[in-house]
Amino acid sequence: MSRDWRDLIAVTELEENWVTRVDLGPRKLAVYDTPSGVHVSLALCNHGGADLCDGYFDGHVIECPLHQGAFDVRDGRAVSAPATRPMKVFEARVRDGMVQVRA
Amino acid sequence: MTNAIVTPLTQALAEGKLTRAELKELMQRSNGPGLVHLALWLLLLATTTTLVVLAWNSWLIWPAMFVQGVVLVHHFSLQHECVHYTVFRTRWLNDLVGQVCGYIILLPHRFFRYEHCDHHTYTQVTGQDPEQVPMPETIWQYLLYLSALPYWKTKFTEVFRHAMGRLSETEKGFIPKVEHAAVYRDARMMLGFYAAVILGMALTGWWGLIWLWFIPLLLGEPVMRFIRMTEHVGRPTVPQMHENTRTSLVSLPLRFLCWNMNYHAEHHYVASVPFHRLPVLHEKLRDHIFVEKGGYLGAHRDILRQIFARQA
Repeated sequence: MSRDWRDLIAVTELEENWVTRVDLGPRKLAVYDTPSGVHVSLALCNHGGADLCDGYFDGHVIECPLHQGAFDVRDGRAVSAPATRPMKVFEARVRDGMVQVRA
Repeated sequence: MTNAIVTPLTQALAEGKLTRAELKELMQRSNGPGLVHLALWLLLLATTTTLVVLAWNSWLIWPAMFVQGVVLVHHFSLQHECVHYTVFRTRWLNDLVGQVCGYIILLPHRFFRYEHCDHHTYTQVTGQDPEQVPMPETIWQYLLYLSALPYWKTKFTEVFRHAMGRLSETEKGFIPKVEHAAVYRDARMMLGFYAAVILGMALTGWWGLIWLWFIPLLLGEPVMRFIRMTEHVGRPTVPQMHENTRTSLVSLPLRFLCWNMNYHAEHHYVASVPFHRLPVLHEKLRDHIFVEKGGYLGAHRDILRQIFARQA
């Protein structure tokens, strides 16, 4: 079943080339401004539960602030231990200056 | 899981010790400082190696090997930074350099990474911090730890256990199942490498690496034990980072050798900050952490005072 697109945050409110934390209902999401556009994932690291939005972000890689495990934000792939499982990413797009997700 | 766990960093941000803008600025990475430091490091290593060679046929080889050993054991500090990806911006460079360091000091990089994760999660929590060095109860326990004999026993036992395809119950707790085979493979490769080195020396009849590498490593390790003790030993065994970790203010040469890891409390607060930015982070956090102004010696004076107070 396809989900509806939901407004998340205005593009102008995003931290440029960085990660921005956004709440969507009870969910904490991380919105990434990247060279290939905007990407969105769950904000909590699936290894130790730390907030990825406090981590180091470079290009397409978000690094957890607690253990430095890292993920590619485009597809959620784990790129560095101790991250071993892909993180949950959401389909995202920009419409009329708003970042939208299908979540 | 809907809420992030509380970490020293989230606490520091919540308490205003650090702003998000400062954090972002401090975390920025580049390859330059790490490459310059590494080039100087290799120069230092070449110098100490030359000293050993020049002292080859005299008793001076022993102090020369000790100096060489002090540099060699500090590959631990570099490997530790590489585990955190805080030496180079290019991630694979951290992996490569960390692996090389591990081969120099008998510490498989992948295993160390997983073990170190739990050290950061459960710092100084007895029974949960796999790297915790217990506070010695007697001066003899203190001296035994500094001899590095228990350390080498642990390291050799560890790597042979992994090479035989086994993990301890504690290790199973911090190494995910999907990585068990890789940990076993790493240990076998490391032992295979050492076996090849020794075989190579036997075949060529040139045993120089014993004097340039193995003996210096054994001579130098007590210095690393001395330094590692200053990080947490003697601090309260509580989860609060401003209590359980000690930053030691030391001279520039010592900071160079340990890749700024003397700023240990700062590192535990924000482990994503590159090694070369830790002095700046120290300026931000120094009023919120435990700082030993007397350096490594001051930390050991504190540890010894506590040991003697317990015995009195």
